[in-house]
Amino acid sequence: MSWQRTLIDRLLAAANDGGGWGYRPQSPTGAEPTAIACLALHAHAVEPDRWDRGLASLATLQRPDGGVPAVAGMASPCWPTGLAVMAWMLACSRSPQPYENQIDRGVEWLLATAGRRISPRPDILAHDQTLQGWPWVEGTYSWVEPTAYATLALRTTGRAAHARTREAVKLLWNRAFSDGGWNYGNVRVFENTLCPFPATTGVALTALAGEPREACVAPAVDYLNSTLRHIRSPVSLGWGLLGLASWQERPEEADTWLAQCATASSVQAPGPLEDGLLLLAAAIPGPLTSGVKGGSYERRG
Amino acid sequence: MNAGDSTCTTTKKRMLSRREVLGAGGALLLGGGIGGALWHGVRHEHGYRAEVFVGKADDYRADLAGLVSDGLRTLGVSRNDIAGKRVLLKPNLVETAVGRAHINTHPAVVVAAAEALRRLDALEVIVAEGQGHRRDSRLVLDESGMGQALAQAGLTFVDLNHDDVVEVPNAGSWTSLKSLYLPRTLLRADLVVSMPKLKTHHWVGVTCAMKNLFGVMPGVVYGWPKNVLHWQGIDEAILDINATVRPALAIVDGIVGMEGDGPIMGTPKPADCLIMGRNLVATDATASRVMGLNTYGLKYLRIGSGQLGPIHPWNITQRGEPIEAVETRFDVLDKPHLAQVVRA
Repeated sequence: MSWQRTLIDRLLAAANDGGGWGYRPQSPTGAEPTAIACLALHAHAVEPDRWDRGLASLATLQRPDGGVPAVAGMASPCWPTGLAVMAWMLACSRSPQPYENQIDRGVEWLLATAGRRISPRPDILAHDQTLQGWPWVEGTYSWVEPTAYATLALRTTGRAAHARTREAVKLLWNRAFSDGGWNYGNVRVFENTLCPFPATTGVALTALAGEPREACVAPAVDYLNSTLRHIRSPVSLGWGLLGLASWQERPEEADTWLAQCATASSVQAPGPLEDGLLLLAAAIPGPLTSGVKGGSYERRG
Repeated sequence: MNAGDSTCTTTKKRMLSRREVLGAGGALLLGGGIGGALWHGVRHEHGYRAEVFVGKADDYRADLAGLVSDGLRTLGVSRNDIAGKRVLLKPNLVETAVGRAHINTHPAVVVAAAEALRRLDALEVIVAEGQGHRRDSRLVLDESGMGQALAQAGLTFVDLNHDDVVEVPNAGSWTSLKSLYLPRTLLRADLVVSMPKLKTHHWVGVTCAMKNLFGVMPGVVYGWPKNVLHWQGIDEAILDINATVRPALAIVDGIVGMEGDGPIMGTPKPADCLIMGRNLVATDATASRVMGLNTYGLKYLRIGSGQLGPIHPWNITQRGEPIEAVETRFDVLDKPHLAQVVRA
């Protein structure tokens, strides 16, 4: 049995009674692992009835104002709202689109939510502190990953030209390291330039797919190409390869790396998020957004 | 035994389990500890007394399990305190970068602590962390060597950032947060051991046993970085987390610490020691003295004095090596907000 079949079966078996996925099997449904699991199963052409209940479980998480909390049973934070919108878009080829209302409200929440403004301190932080993206937690500052998720959702729902998307794209370019890559969102603190992270670099490159190729793309691609060959961690390898694929830079050895990662042992057992990201990275040859709205990807192999 | 109540009397030796403390009686114990002792003078720190152990070790290949066992014995931690208990070791496992092993608690110290606790018949020892910047804990485990060391020692790791969460009342009141969300794995543990790296910190001066507990706060709730806590005030959040989590013990990796632009970008600084204590305020106060810094310049210690533990030298009994035997001056970033941390 291929590693992909093993992970698909494991992912399907890990679904909660309500149809969603937690960060670990039997954990409360989380919006992020559920959205990633749905995207991954769809990308592997698993029958929609096997993951449709995942989309429905995301709908049950959604608040009246459109925000989707990270974990069932909590009212906030709603940083995974962009990922939930992406997942609901998988159903958009159906008529009527069953999650149109959820998508609209999710987008409404995204457009109404922004990172908290701070008084710029260029002596402490190097990046442009006036740009607003999205925070992890409502009422706090803008960071790379939640901004990238929101950007993906706005782009997928046809809002690439929206002012919020444009500002988010600016923010992401601005937070890139000149030597390549992104971290959580600080390039320099005091005198020291910080270090990029592979997973966040992959997330940012994925969100920026479709934008003109700015100067910082090439060093980010180089950074991922040089680091991913040594990485056998599902989250970093998965997002890293998705980021490279978004810019048509998927390495030839990617399938080997993914297979090694899927079968590697660790003191930390993989959960649905990790399995979903490996499956997604194995299936998607180009930008993540390209296959979502149309309901199908041009599948590899 | 816990930071909030244990050291009000020197004779109290029974180690309360965290489940006992976080239960209905917890708030009363803490409230009574604080409220009932208000009349104590500042000098007496409301009756708090503590012992802190300093043990010399200049190499990670030393018999660290033996040293930790010595420390436990010296601090009065007995088999009765540990046997049958679930113990959670919380190292400082932050980031990895080539040539920067001094960012994280060394795996040898974590494995040594586990071994010492197993010798006292701990029911279970697990290692858990929730990184503040990197979401991918598996990568940090792989790159730091911690994953391999834990596997060889038969220890499991739990990613607290993505663990199930439970809302508990905030037992402190230094931030405006009414409740804190804590990982279920942490709450299931009978004893929490903070295992920080001895480092300077570019915002609060020193990051040690108390600040290390930022890492128990789940990222799915607080973000990466845990920006909610920054907006609440780092010093104030440190105090609230410690008052609520009520760790039982601290084991500080000071064999090679970090000075300068910590907690990530600083430079290695050997201090050749482990520092251990049952009260984290006292442990951090001693750590700051080992670093040659001004204890009273650290806001969270100044506020925590007499509220969660003692910081005055006359209220802390030093065990093992005297501070002078290991004291080595750590440089802090030359910034106005850190000027008071530097000892005149």
